Amino acid sequence: MVKLTIDGKEVEVREGTNIIEAARRLGIEVPHYCYHPGLSIAGQCRLCMVELGNNPRPQIGCNTQVAEGMVVRTDTPKVLETRQSIMEFHLINHPLDCPVCDQAGECWLQIYYMKHGLYEPRMVDEKVHKPKAVPLGSHVILDAERCILCSRCVRFCDEITGTGELGIFDRGDHSEIGLFPGRELANPYSANVIDICPVGALTDRDFRFAVRVWYLDTAKSICPGCSRGCNIEVHVNVRRPHHNQGRRVARLKPRFNAEVNRWWICDAGRYGGKFVDDASRLGAPARGRGEAAIEVGWEEMIPLIASQLRRYRPDEIGVLASPNMANEDLFLLRRLVDHLRLIHVDFRVPPRTPGDEDRILIKADKNANTRGAELIGLGPRPGGLDAHGMLRAARERRIKCLWVFHHDLLASAWPEAEVGEALRAVECFIYQGSNSNGVSTAAHYVLPSAAWVERDGTFTNFEGRVQRFWKAVDPLGLSLADWEILGRIGEAFGLGAPPARAEDCFKALAASAAPFAGLSYRELKDTGKVVAA
Amino acid sequence: MNARGAVKVEFTPEQLVEVRRLQGLYPDRRAALLPVLQLVQDVFGHISLEAEEYVAGLFDLSPAHVHEVVTFYTLFFREPKGRHVISVCHNLTCHLLGAQQVLTHLKKRLGVEVGGTTPDGRVTLLSVECLCACEIAPMLQVDDRYEGNLSGEKVDRILDGLA
Repeated sequence: MVKLTIDGKEVEVREGTNIIEAARRLGIEVPHYCYHPGLSIAGQCRLCMVELGNNPRPQIGCNTQVAEGMVVRTDTPKVLETRQSIMEFHLINHPLDCPVCDQAGECWLQIYYMKHGLYEPRMVDEKVHKPKAVPLGSHVILDAERCILCSRCVRFCDEITGTGELGIFDRGDHSEIGLFPGRELANPYSANVIDICPVGALTDRDFRFAVRVWYLDTAKSICPGCSRGCNIEVHVNVRRPHHNQGRRVARLKPRFNAEVNRWWICDAGRYGGKFVDDASRLGAPARGRGEAAIEVGWEEMIPLIASQLRRYRPDEIGVLASPNMANEDLFLLRRLVDHLRLIHVDFRVPPRTPGDEDRILIKADKNANTRGAELIGLGPRPGGLDAHGMLRAARERRIKCLWVFHHDLLASAWPEAEVGEALRAVECFIYQGSNSNGVSTAAHYVLPSAAWVERDGTFTNFEGRVQRFWKAVDPLGLSLADWEILGRIGEAFGLGAPPARAEDCFKALAASAAPFAGLSYRELKDTGKVVAA
Repeated sequence: MNARGAVKVEFTPEQLVEVRRLQGLYPDRRAALLPVLQLVQDVFGHISLEAEEYVAGLFDLSPAHVHEVVTFYTLFFREPKGRHVISVCHNLTCHLLGAQQVLTHLKKRLGVEVGGTTPDGRVTLLSVECLCACEIAPMLQVDDRYEGNLSGEKVDRILDGLA
């Protein structure tokens, strides 16, 4: 450990720490553009100048490692004047059209200019013009005039994905970020360059000009796209419902978790939340197939489901849970299954095409909570059938009541004809899920689930890390969180009043399932905890 | 050999030996990128995008990073150039002593603008910053040779001497 003084305050940090990070520990922000803790140091933007001891010239904080007894000042007139000059340089060719720039509101040129701007610009010459609105790939668009050449995006493609698509071409005031002619920015993590771009040079083709960022509300969440469980932030637009074509989820952004995803998420996850505002969302409980379907209220639906479950012997009922349900949902389902002594229970459905996987973040298992379903025990009971077995038994009329959660079985690895036959053969088919699909249209009863951003809960990732996600927006229509639906059905079977909050379900889970013993929402904090394997 | 566009970029085994030698000279072999690009330009006349990709392969670099280097230096030609390159200095001393007249004369004689190449592929005309020979201003560089104290007649003599 190394002890040093920054702006008169002592701090002890690990050897090798740079001055920006050491100052951050004291709550002192050293302005910077090119430095990013996840990337190599470029020393390109020159904004992080600080004074060291009696050294007459300010030095960059990003590339200066701490030393014992070092005296750093980040607030002297010389430092402030230097910042102002550097900002002046950065803005020489930068357009002054923040009102029409999509980055406005989250632009570090704006933020630092408020504090360190010159306000009386001295530039009288014509600005250098460069290409604008250049698509770099399917997600990223470049405005070369807004670029300050910090090279974060170049380093990201070199160091994180190893794909090296981007470079800084030409020189002097003609320098610009670009792709090798004819190539595309098409790596599976491409949109992270939008997050790390400190200015409006790289923006998101999906998000730009959809909503102003200051209208967004945010909630901490977990990406449900695969079993990695990347930590994310959900940005929702509810204050300007007429913007963004009614899409409430405006965008998903990575949230730092040193143990899971660091600063990044993959593009598949980032753009995978569209189903939440899709036209296929189920908005109300319904009974009756196809054209004959009629919407009913929950107060009518819950007793209907309970009476259906009572009509059949336990070995005539199959339950196909989903590895995308939260731990809270799975626990209440498990409780109900145990109470009814059902034996045909499973959650595994093989995908039609095996998922892709890499050595960065992407996992082949495209379900958020497979590990949770394993730990909570949603597999077949002794003598019970697995998912495939249940379908066969349904075709043979041995299973008469089938309750499927979320799965689109027609998009699974099993032959469509077999699945279709099974679904037609059962006397009572209950579908519970957030979106309609080929399976839901065949159901006698449809129970609409809230999407993950519409409720609280936890997922257990592939390495057994239990992570919380928070409600970002109200459930669509009459949809309810799966645990709420299951709690009400449980009540109909005398399992007590339904839990009031997701946290109550988790408490009950922690009290009854050994791997979760001792855990609580408070204990999980923002970044989760690994349960005993 | 540098018929526009259709040059197959590949070094001979002997040239590849030279590439390996250059790469071995430095602790980080990437440092040999400049001399290897010069070799490309010597052999193929200019550095095409295909050549950049070929060189990227020799260094296990992404083509974008080779493109960075090629676009940074003005002495790398990205388009086929003439058999001879004339670079007229336009910096202060030469400017004061008549570089503009020299350039105007050359443009008229060659029938090309700055940056252009004569249709017969004989000469490429450039206008450049200081070549460090103010004592003979106004001056120009023709291929590897400096010519100074220029006048209209001297420029004509230089042009007549070019094959």
